Amino acid sequence: MERCDSASNADTLRGRGLLGRKRCCCWTWPELSSSWLRAGLCQQIILHLECKTPGVNTLELTERLQAAGVELDLEATTALVHVTALFFRSAAQSKMSAEDLIVKLADSSNNWSKQALQVIRHVWTEQGKLIMAPEAAKHMLTVGQLVDLQWKLGMAISSDSCRSLNHPYVTMMLKVADPSGEIISRSFEMTVPQFRNFSKQFREVATALEMV
Amino acid sequence: MAEQCSKSLNGLLGGLAQITYYQSPGITEQMLKEQLYPDLPQQDFKILHEKMVGILRSIASADMDFNQLEAFLTAQTKKQKGITLEQAEVLTKFWKTHKVKIRESLINQSKWENCLRNISWRVDLKSQSRHLDQINTPVAIMEFELGKNDQESEFLCLELEETKVNQLLKKLTEIEESISELSYTN
Repeated sequence: MERCDSASNADTLRGRGLLGRKRCCCWTWPELSSSWLRAGLCQQIILHLECKTPGVNTLELTERLQAAGVELDLEATTALVHVTALFFRSAAQSKMSAEDLIVKLADSSNNWSKQALQVIRHVWTEQGKLIMAPEAAKHMLTVGQLVDLQWKLGMAISSDSCRSLNHPYVTMMLKVADPSGEIISRSFEMTVPQFRNFSKQFREVATALEMV
Repeated sequence: MAEQCSKSLNGLLGGLAQITYYQSPGITEQMLKEQLYPDLPQQDFKILHEKMVGILRSIASADMDFNQLEAFLTAQTKKQKGITLEQAEVLTKFWKTHKVKIRESLINQSKWENCLRNISWRVDLKSQSRHLDQINTPVAIMEFELGKNDQESEFLCLELEETKVNQLLKKLTEIEESISELSYTN
């Protein structure tokens, strides 16, 4: 597999928000184009983005690609899946039409084959709208990793409308790393009953995780 | 006659609560006069209105318990231009009914930070990853709906693995312990 020497390709893609991971600029596009045709990768990813499957089974995908004669190892396949998912998510968030999407991809690199672009156009036309529904798009680009949770238990003693408030409350500060690595923080306040409900839900999550 | 007065007063207090604490739109002082005290001269209504507003404000602001309320109202009945015994009775009944709700509304009025409107979650099996050892690990996806006042919600979506969830549970236990200590000392 050749390494691409075109830094500008990667920059263009990154600049248009279509490339989030540095590594992906290191494969040439012809390699990627043919693997899409063979693996129906797009289909799998769209299904995942529609939340119809929990993820893309990259191990299985690698085996299928290799069986079809495409030499990509697991790491390369994983990166490929990430890039594809990322441009589909970006397209969903910007509510791009299939035409706009392939124009953008074609603009970003000369190495897209006609067939590859056609596959993408077809998949996006047929299924793109399902992940562009407001509910779905809202979920997509913002799945982050929790970096830190800080908390504070406070007591509101009085206020301008009530001299005898005496109200305990819990404030939480969440630090979240979004997919691009940027850290955002959000804080929120809960009453004690709300906090107890919050705890209860977390314990349910823990139980569910254990049972898988 | 007395019953009618009590009914009207109860209505007036209810209306005042709607305006001041429950922020119900469309209720005005004038409306209350027209509906509850149509025959009372405007000036007399004004006096009554101001008196009740003041008393209600004192009671709510101090979040009085029923002993404090009794003492307070008794003092009011002994004042010149204070309240009558019947009025004290109506006020007591009113506070019994509305105390909790008014307190809740006062707490909300002084809450200016984001609040947690909703949490939803699901557990996925992570099958795509850079690291082989992460494949087939269960992962929780949690969505926090945050918002303040009347503003639109913001959604924060997080991916949490089992170890992270357990770490967070430890923190939540610490918070529970702090809350218990608080109740103890209070």
